[in-house]
Amino acid sequence: MSGSVSAISEQRVGLRTVGRGSKVGGSSPAAGTEDMSFVNFANREVQLKIVYYGPGLGGKTANLQYIHGAISPDARGTLTSVATSKDRTLFFDFMPLVANAIEGFTTRFQVYTVPGQVMYNTTRRLVLRGADGLVFVADSQWNRMADNVESFANLEENLRLQGESLDTIPYVLQYNKRDLPNIAPINYLDFLLNNRGVRRPSFSAVAVEGQGVFETLNMIARLVLNRFVKTHARREAKESDLVLV
Amino acid sequence: MALALREKDVARMRRILLELLDRSESDGCVVCDSGGYVLVQEGRGASDPLLLSALGAGVFAASRELARVLGEDEFSAVFHQGERRSIFIRAVNAEVLLVIIFSNTANVGLVRLYAGPAAGQMRGLLEEIAASGEDVEHAERAFVLTENGDLFGAGAPPHP
Repeated sequence: MSGSVSAISEQRVGLRTVGRGSKVGGSSPAAGTEDMSFVNFANREVQLKIVYYGPGLGGKTANLQYIHGAISPDARGTLTSVATSKDRTLFFDFMPLVANAIEGFTTRFQVYTVPGQVMYNTTRRLVLRGADGLVFVADSQWNRMADNVESFANLEENLRLQGESLDTIPYVLQYNKRDLPNIAPINYLDFLLNNRGVRRPSFSAVAVEGQGVFETLNMIARLVLNRFVKTHARREAKESDLVLV
Repeated sequence: MALALREKDVARMRRILLELLDRSESDGCVVCDSGGYVLVQEGRGASDPLLLSALGAGVFAASRELARVLGEDEFSAVFHQGERRSIFIRAVNAEVLLVIIFSNTANVGLVRLYAGPAAGQMRGLLEEIAASGEDVEHAERAFVLTENGDLFGAGAPPHP
């Protein structure tokens, strides 16, 4: 099996040099409710990481390819795929997106996919590190249900090994390939995958045609941003309390 | 480990990188974390630091797994040699990496020689910063979302 690194587009998102301003802040791999984002106060930039997870051939890469093809070039950078010679994801796909989502800051979303094939679990754990939000892309076909369940359990286990949990990290589900004939109904997919007490947002999708792709992306982006703002607001409140006491 | 770099800290980080580039005759370097976030960059070698950091962090993480296969704790550095340009990745600490880009007119031995002390200085600096990280002004931590609408869409440019 041969590997390759392919740059699908040469369009790039510019990155300003860090360090011209007064402060740079970041956070790290603390577990639990700590967000993993990186804040650059020097150039007023927030970096957030979103990871698309799910079984092999489920459509994770198709999501990124559609976004890359459809979105304005000003809003995205190069889509890079570290893939096998047969276009199966070997390591990850990576694409930066940029938005002005936080007042006074440029927000950069670093979007990754993991390799879905079972044998690449070590790689999935590596890509999962530092994720601020997750999209679980399920294959709606009946004959992929066991793969969906296995992949979801694998996600939970890999998060647990990193001190994280689906109880604390924002995630959404995407039920892909809704255009195929042999698909399970949505309520069955919810029963299998969206059954953790608090039901998470889920989207029907045909990723190769773009159906449900931006709805999924926008929802996870919003959840990640809300968590980011709340985490920092909470931290600030704690500091204020200390001053008052 | 929360970080809050002040201007003097950033200046010190840049001095470390500039000195490394000068002594090792390298083109550029990027300091990134293991999740692929760019902390700081210097020089002209990294035209796409986001991608460099994402791939560099991935490569280095994979090398750590390879080290475990061999019974090593880790490989402290990874070297990729090209025909014209090469990359040397050195661990600063468990979470931060130094990615150095240099042309093949430079000597990899020099890069390797000076990357070690530079990584050590950077590690010390990050520890200092982590220890004094609570000095961030409160105003700097107030983040306000611009709007509740969709951020992304087909053909939609970033919000003004």
